Amino acid sequence: MNSIHDMGGMHGYGPIVREEDEPVFHHEWEGKALALARIALAGGHFNLDEFRHVQERMPPAHYLTIRYYERWLEGTVAMLVEKGVITAEEYAARLAELSGEAL
Amino acid sequence: MSRVITREVVQGLYKHTGTARVDVDVAASFKVGDTIRARNINPTGHTRLPRYIRGKQGQVAVDHGVFQFADSLAHSSGKQPQHLYSVRFTAREIWGADVPAQDSLYIDLWDDYLESA
Repeated sequence: MNSIHDMGGMHGYGPIVREEDEPVFHHEWEGKALALARIALAGGHFNLDEFRHVQERMPPAHYLTIRYYERWLEGTVAMLVEKGVITAEEYAARLAELSGEAL
Repeated sequence: MSRVITREVVQGLYKHTGTARVDVDVAASFKVGDTIRARNINPTGHTRLPRYIRGKQGQVAVDHGVFQFADSLAHSSGKQPQHLYSVRFTAREIWGADVPAQDSLYIDLWDDYLESA
Protein backbone atom coordinates (compact mmCIF):
# COMPACT_ATOMS: atom_id res chain seq x y z
CA MET A 1 0.00 0.00 0.00
CA ASN A 2 1.17 3.52 -0.74
CA SER A 3 1.50 5.12 2.66
CA ILE A 4 3.86 6.85 5.05
CA HIS A 5 6.00 3.78 5.85
CA ASP A 6 7.38 3.85 2.28
CA MET A 7 9.61 6.88 2.82
CA GLY A 8 12.39 6.21 0.32
CA GLY A 9 13.25 9.38 -1.58
CA MET A 10 11.29 11.74 0.66
CA HIS A 11 12.90 15.00 1.75
CA GLY A 12 12.53 17.14 4.86
CA TYR A 13 13.12 14.73 7.74
CA GLY A 14 16.54 16.10 8.63
CA PRO A 15 19.78 14.20 9.28
CA ILE A 16 19.93 10.75 10.88
CA VAL A 17 21.38 11.37 14.34
CA ARG A 18 23.54 8.56 15.72
CA GLU A 19 23.33 8.25 19.49
CA GLU A 20 26.57 7.52 21.40
CA ASP A 21 26.32 4.30 23.48
CA GLU A 22 22.72 3.85 22.46
CA PRO A 23 20.90 1.57 24.94
CA VAL A 24 18.92 -1.42 23.67
CA PHE A 25 15.78 0.18 25.08
CA HIS A 26 15.28 3.81 26.07
CA HIS A 27 12.41 2.92 28.40
CA GLU A 28 11.50 -0.28 30.24
CA TRP A 29 8.08 -0.43 28.53
CA GLU A 30 9.81 -0.73 25.14
CA GLY A 31 11.28 -4.09 26.10
CA LYS A 32 7.85 -5.22 27.28
CA ALA A 33 6.28 -4.10 23.98
CA LEU A 34 8.90 -6.12 22.08
CA ALA A 35 8.31 -9.16 24.28
CA LEU A 36 4.54 -8.93 23.89
CA ALA A 37 4.82 -8.77 20.10
CA ARG A 38 7.28 -11.68 19.95
CA ILE A 39 5.13 -13.85 22.21
CA ALA A 40 1.99 -13.09 20.21
CA LEU A 41 3.84 -13.91 16.98
CA ALA A 42 5.23 -17.12 18.47
CA GLY A 43 1.73 -18.03 19.61
CA GLY A 44 0.69 -18.14 15.96
CA HIS A 45 -1.98 -15.45 16.28
CA PHE A 46 -0.58 -13.53 13.30
CA ASN A 47 2.52 -13.55 11.13
CA LEU A 48 5.34 -11.03 10.65
CA ASP A 49 3.98 -9.71 7.36
CA GLU A 50 0.54 -9.15 8.84
CA PHE A 51 2.28 -7.35 11.72
CA ARG A 52 4.11 -5.07 9.28
CA HIS A 53 0.91 -4.38 7.37
CA VAL A 54 -1.12 -3.46 10.44
CA GLN A 55 1.46 -0.75 11.17
CA GLU A 56 1.33 0.46 7.56
CA ARG A 57 -2.43 0.86 7.93
CA MET A 58 -2.07 3.43 10.73
CA PRO A 59 -3.16 6.97 9.80
CA PRO A 60 0.02 8.66 8.48
CA ALA A 61 -0.02 11.55 10.97
CA HIS A 62 -0.33 9.07 13.85
CA TYR A 63 2.42 6.84 12.43
CA LEU A 64 4.84 9.78 12.35
CA THR A 65 4.14 11.04 15.86
CA ILE A 66 4.43 7.86 17.92
CA ARG A 67 7.63 6.10 18.94
CA TYR A 68 8.95 2.98 17.24
CA TYR A 69 7.86 0.60 20.03
CA GLU A 70 4.52 2.37 20.34
CA ARG A 71 3.90 1.17 16.78
CA TRP A 72 4.83 -2.35 17.94
CA LEU A 73 2.49 -2.15 20.91
CA GLU A 74 -0.44 -0.65 18.99
CA GLY A 75 0.17 -3.06 16.11
CA THR A 76 0.14 -6.06 18.45
CA VAL A 77 -3.08 -4.94 20.13
CA ALA A 78 -4.73 -4.24 16.76
CA MET A 79 -3.72 -7.69 15.49
CA LEU A 80 -5.02 -9.46 18.61
CA VAL A 81 -8.34 -7.64 18.22
CA GLU A 82 -8.59 -8.31 14.47
CA LYS A 83 -7.82 -12.00 15.00
CA GLY A 84 -10.43 -12.29 17.73
CA VAL A 85 -7.99 -13.14 20.54
CA ILE A 86 -9.28 -10.22 22.59
CA THR A 87 -12.01 -7.67 21.99
CA ALA A 88 -11.49 -3.92 21.88
CA GLU A 89 -13.89 -3.66 24.82
CA GLU A 90 -11.86 -6.11 26.91
CA TYR A 91 -8.69 -4.16 26.14
CA ALA A 92 -10.29 -0.81 27.02
CA ALA A 93 -11.74 -2.25 30.23
CA ARG A 94 -8.37 -3.64 31.32
CA LEU A 95 -6.64 -0.33 30.54
CA ALA A 96 -9.22 1.50 32.65
CA GLU A 97 -8.78 -1.03 35.46
CA LEU A 98 -4.99 -0.67 35.44
CA SER A 99 -5.05 3.13 35.31
CA GLY A 100 -7.45 3.02 38.26
CA GLU A 101 -4.95 0.89 40.17
CA ALA A 102 -2.17 3.36 39.43
CA LEU A 103 -4.19 6.17 40.94
CA MET B 1 -2.60 -21.99 14.27
CA SER B 2 -2.43 -20.80 17.87
CA ARG B 3 -0.11 -22.68 20.19
CA VAL B 4 0.70 -22.66 23.86
CA ILE B 5 3.80 -20.66 24.79
CA THR B 6 6.18 -22.65 26.94
CA ARG B 7 9.60 -21.82 28.39
CA GLU B 8 11.20 -23.73 25.48
CA VAL B 9 9.32 -21.63 22.92
CA VAL B 10 10.47 -18.40 24.54
CA GLN B 11 14.09 -19.53 24.73
CA GLY B 12 13.96 -20.52 21.07
CA LEU B 13 12.59 -17.13 20.03
CA TYR B 14 15.88 -15.35 20.44
CA LYS B 15 18.19 -18.20 19.43
CA HIS B 16 16.55 -19.23 16.19
CA THR B 17 16.73 -16.56 13.49
CA GLY B 18 14.39 -18.36 11.12
CA THR B 19 14.29 -18.14 7.35
CA ALA B 20 11.77 -17.26 4.68
CA ARG B 21 13.50 -19.64 2.24
CA VAL B 22 11.23 -22.39 0.92
CA ASP B 23 12.52 -25.76 -0.23
CA VAL B 24 10.33 -26.26 -3.29
CA ASP B 25 11.14 -26.36 -6.99
CA VAL B 26 9.71 -23.26 -8.67
CA ALA B 27 10.75 -22.09 -12.15
CA ALA B 28 12.57 -18.76 -12.30
CA SER B 29 11.18 -16.24 -14.79
CA PHE B 30 14.53 -14.44 -14.99
CA LYS B 31 18.22 -15.24 -14.86
CA VAL B 32 21.31 -13.34 -13.77
CA GLY B 33 22.13 -10.61 -16.31
CA ASP B 34 18.56 -10.19 -17.56
CA THR B 35 17.34 -6.63 -18.01
CA ILE B 36 14.05 -6.23 -16.21
CA ARG B 37 11.58 -3.52 -15.28
CA ALA B 38 9.92 -3.32 -11.89
CA ARG B 39 6.18 -3.43 -12.45
CA ASN B 40 4.17 -0.29 -11.83
CA ILE B 41 1.77 -1.77 -9.32
CA ASN B 42 -0.06 0.04 -6.55
CA PRO B 43 -1.66 -2.64 -4.39
CA THR B 44 -3.75 -1.51 -1.44
CA GLY B 45 -2.40 -4.46 0.56
CA HIS B 46 1.11 -5.18 1.84
CA THR B 47 3.97 -5.01 -0.63
CA ARG B 48 7.75 -4.93 -0.32
CA LEU B 49 8.14 -3.15 -3.65
CA PRO B 50 8.97 0.47 -2.78
CA ARG B 51 7.38 3.23 -4.80
CA TYR B 52 10.69 4.67 -5.99
CA ILE B 53 11.55 1.42 -7.81
CA ARG B 54 8.27 0.97 -9.67
CA GLY B 55 8.62 1.38 -13.42
CA LYS B 56 12.43 1.50 -13.20
CA GLN B 57 14.74 -0.63 -15.31
CA GLY B 58 17.48 -2.76 -13.78
CA GLN B 59 19.53 -5.92 -14.13
CA VAL B 60 19.26 -9.18 -12.23
CA ALA B 61 22.49 -9.50 -10.20
CA VAL B 62 21.84 -12.58 -8.04
CA ASP B 63 19.15 -15.26 -7.92
CA HIS B 64 18.75 -15.96 -4.19
CA GLY B 65 16.49 -18.98 -4.75
CA VAL B 66 12.90 -19.61 -3.72
CA PHE B 67 11.31 -17.67 -0.86
CA GLN B 68 7.83 -17.26 0.56
CA PHE B 69 6.08 -14.11 -0.65
CA ALA B 70 5.42 -11.43 1.97
CA ASP B 71 2.67 -9.78 -0.08
CA SER B 72 0.48 -12.89 0.04
CA LEU B 73 1.42 -13.95 3.57
CA ALA B 74 0.20 -10.60 4.88
CA HIS B 75 -3.28 -11.42 3.60
CA SER B 76 -3.68 -15.11 4.39
CA SER B 77 -3.13 -15.98 0.73
CA GLY B 78 -0.46 -18.59 1.37
CA LYS B 79 3.27 -18.59 0.83
CA GLN B 80 3.18 -18.34 -3.00
CA PRO B 81 6.84 -19.41 -3.10
CA GLN B 82 8.83 -17.82 -5.91
CA HIS B 83 12.34 -16.74 -6.85
CA LEU B 84 13.80 -13.74 -5.09
CA TYR B 85 16.50 -11.75 -6.86
CA SER B 86 18.99 -9.06 -6.01
CA VAL B 87 18.38 -6.50 -8.75
CA ARG B 88 20.77 -3.67 -9.57
CA PHE B 89 19.39 -0.25 -10.50
CA THR B 90 21.68 2.65 -11.32
CA ALA B 91 21.21 5.66 -9.06
CA ARG B 92 20.60 7.73 -12.20
CA GLU B 93 17.77 5.41 -13.29
CA ILE B 94 16.10 6.02 -9.94
CA TRP B 95 16.96 9.62 -9.07
CA GLY B 96 17.92 11.26 -12.37
CA ALA B 97 20.97 12.93 -13.89
CA ASP B 98 22.12 14.87 -10.80
CA VAL B 99 23.47 11.85 -8.89
CA PRO B 100 26.92 10.21 -9.35
CA ALA B 101 27.15 7.96 -12.41
CA GLN B 102 29.02 5.20 -10.54
CA ASP B 103 26.37 4.72 -7.83
CA SER B 104 23.82 1.95 -7.93
CA LEU B 105 21.30 0.30 -5.64
CA TYR B 106 20.86 -3.44 -5.13
CA ILE B 107 17.42 -4.36 -3.88
CA ASP B 108 15.86 -7.78 -3.28
CA LEU B 109 12.72 -8.23 -5.38
CA TRP B 110 10.38 -11.17 -5.91
CA ASP B 111 9.57 -12.64 -9.31
CA ASP B 112 6.02 -11.22 -9.25
CA TYR B 113 7.42 -7.66 -9.07
CA LEU B 114 9.35 -7.94 -12.34
CA GLU B 115 8.70 -7.93 -16.06
CA SER B 116 11.07 -8.25 -19.03
CA ALA B 117 12.43 -5.00 -20.40
